[in-house]
Amino acid sequence: MAEGDDRTLLEVRHLSVLIETREGMIRPVSDVSFAIGRGEAVALVGESGSGKTLTGLSLLCLFPPGATVPSGEILFEGQDLLRLDAAALRMIRGQRISMIFQEPQSALNPVLTIGTQISELFKSHTDLPDSQVRERVIERLRSAGLPDPERVFKSYPHQLSGGMRQRVMIAMAIALDPHLVIADEPTTALDPTVALQILALLSSIRESRTKGLLFISHDLAHVRRVSDRVLVMYAGRIVEDSPASRFFGAGPLHPYSLALLSSRPSGTGETGRETPLPAIGGQVPPLWNLPPGCAFAPRCPRADDRCRTDQPPWQSEGASGALCFYPHHSPLGAPQHVA
Amino acid sequence: MSPESSPLLETRGLVREFDLPGGGLFGRRKTLTAVSDVSFAIGKGEILGLVGESGSGKTTIGRMVMRLLDPTRGQVIFDGLDLTHLSGRSLRRQRRRFQMVFQDPYASLNPRMRAGEIVGEPLVIHGLATSARERREKVSRLLERVGLSGHDLERYPREFSGGGRQRIGIARAIACQPDLLVADEPIASLDLSIGAQIINLFSSLNKTERMSLLFISHDLSVIRYLSDRVVVLYRGRMVESGPTRTVLDAPVHPYTRLLAGISSGTPSETQNGAGEPSASLCPFLTRCPEALSVCRESMPPSLENPESGRQVLCHLVAGHSSWKSSASPSLSQGSP
Repeated sequence: MAEGDDRTLLEVRHLSVLIETREGMIRPVSDVSFAIGRGEAVALVGESGSGKTLTGLSLLCLFPPGATVPSGEILFEGQDLLRLDAAALRMIRGQRISMIFQEPQSALNPVLTIGTQISELFKSHTDLPDSQVRERVIERLRSAGLPDPERVFKSYPHQLSGGMRQRVMIAMAIALDPHLVIADEPTTALDPTVALQILALLSSIRESRTKGLLFISHDLAHVRRVSDRVLVMYAGRIVEDSPASRFFGAGPLHPYSLALLSSRPSGTGETGRETPLPAIGGQVPPLWNLPPGCAFAPRCPRADDRCRTDQPPWQSEGASGALCFYPHHSPLGAPQHVA
Repeated sequence: MSPESSPLLETRGLVREFDLPGGGLFGRRKTLTAVSDVSFAIGKGEILGLVGESGSGKTTIGRMVMRLLDPTRGQVIFDGLDLTHLSGRSLRRQRRRFQMVFQDPYASLNPRMRAGEIVGEPLVIHGLATSARERREKVSRLLERVGLSGHDLERYPREFSGGGRQRIGIARAIACQPDLLVADEPIASLDLSIGAQIINLFSSLNKTERMSLLFISHDLSVIRYLSDRVVVLYRGRMVESGPTRTVLDAPVHPYTRLLAGISSGTPSETQNGAGEPSASLCPFLTRCPEALSVCRESMPPSLENPESGRQVLCHLVAGHSSWKSSASPSLSQGSP
């Protein structure tokens, strides 16, 4: 991770979030560190409950009720967001960091036209005269790939298809020219063919070389299309940080990443159901009952006694790194297969 | 077809319409055609994949096959018997031979029943276990078959993870040893690492118990891995079908090409969400990147390639020597 580099847009250092629940204190985001460069698309991959959405929301300092942040820094363009007051944060949210949510239907106001909703952004964040606002909104809708922006401007959310609504969300997210766009599972509510178009649009966001994109997803096929770098989360921790070319090429370092990749039917492979899919046994441990060592150890084919008792270290290899005693290709020896 | 190779399940010209609200007292009733003219067959021990986007009618077809929903027109023939005309006791007697696994394991299990009761219920209903002890033994065996253990008998659904609940749903569905399982998006609500376990369970049920499977999904790579043949739906119509590998490696219909990521054209979204495409034209016309002028004039022909066992509903290949016009079953025998 590059430090103090002016190509670095965002740097998160040792961020932890604690939440008090009925089952006890949990740490859904645990010692998370990563960076996003300008013009870079970083994917955050994980299963439900791994902490990926909460990590995304943390970047806007949006924490669920009852949450505390015991440690960490979120350096955005050199400023620690965790130390800003509410007024300063309001200026950053929407204007310099924006977010695209999973379901555009519930993120848009059903009784206001699209035009009114996007105009509001300009009215509250800029001193642009009203006469120019409309023009600006239409231009944003057009750059989000909406074919007839004039008509969309006058439409209500229910008059648009799911794909068009998600394009509207993207238009809103890029309206004020933010430097960082966070997209949280932006394609789950969409049909497969429409999802591909939205992914292409998202990956074009970073082409300006000034913007960064954090793409939160559980779908590795989508991640492959959009990202330059892949972060994998498991039980609140980032367990892998690798360039996408390495992750999908030579393969990831962490056994969990590897298992995720291989447990999906490839979609092109010639093997059919005669060969069972290499499934990961067991399940994700609940956050209030994590094992003492590595959280993945109970399901890991490489795990030995040390993994079950000690927290694994962060081990780097070139531009990649993993939270593991035995990362792939490790000089420590071949993976040990424990049933 | 010879008697041995007669299919386990056959649908002929299935149509399902739903009444839409509105229309008024004297106004014409508005209907939505969710499924139109769907005919396919599933052989014994075969896995058929049903793929399409949300709203394409996949679930409606699954429910009609299960007789949870009556078709507006058309027939569902199960092992030679027309299910559409069965009711009451004779339907219940057949019911144990086809069972369903639902998409949402959270919503489809009674939260107040223990796993053992949930799985044992079909045995009681169909009188397949005479004593409580026999039932308990059978249920334990079923739980073990799906990868749970006898210890789980007394646990409630909420005490299981998503994957565990889906296993209970499967154990319940296979309790009376059905010949056909209908699985509606059974892994869509499961986590990444759990989905593979459930897919493996389905393929093992197919292999060792010779269960036929109607596998409904929007995920092409899962369909490709699991199914022998595939049916691609678009807006309630079968746009393409045939052996999975052949169809997905060399799709003919522009929609299948788009799904398979083979298309070079970009789909147009211009009329998406604006007006509905005309019911008398190709359902895919408004988004088709390869539409011809004839597509705007008439309904595409239903074509078949007998050699490869494929069907397609498209103007593009009309006139090619390998594609012949197929008589639509709904015209010949479907309507009452």
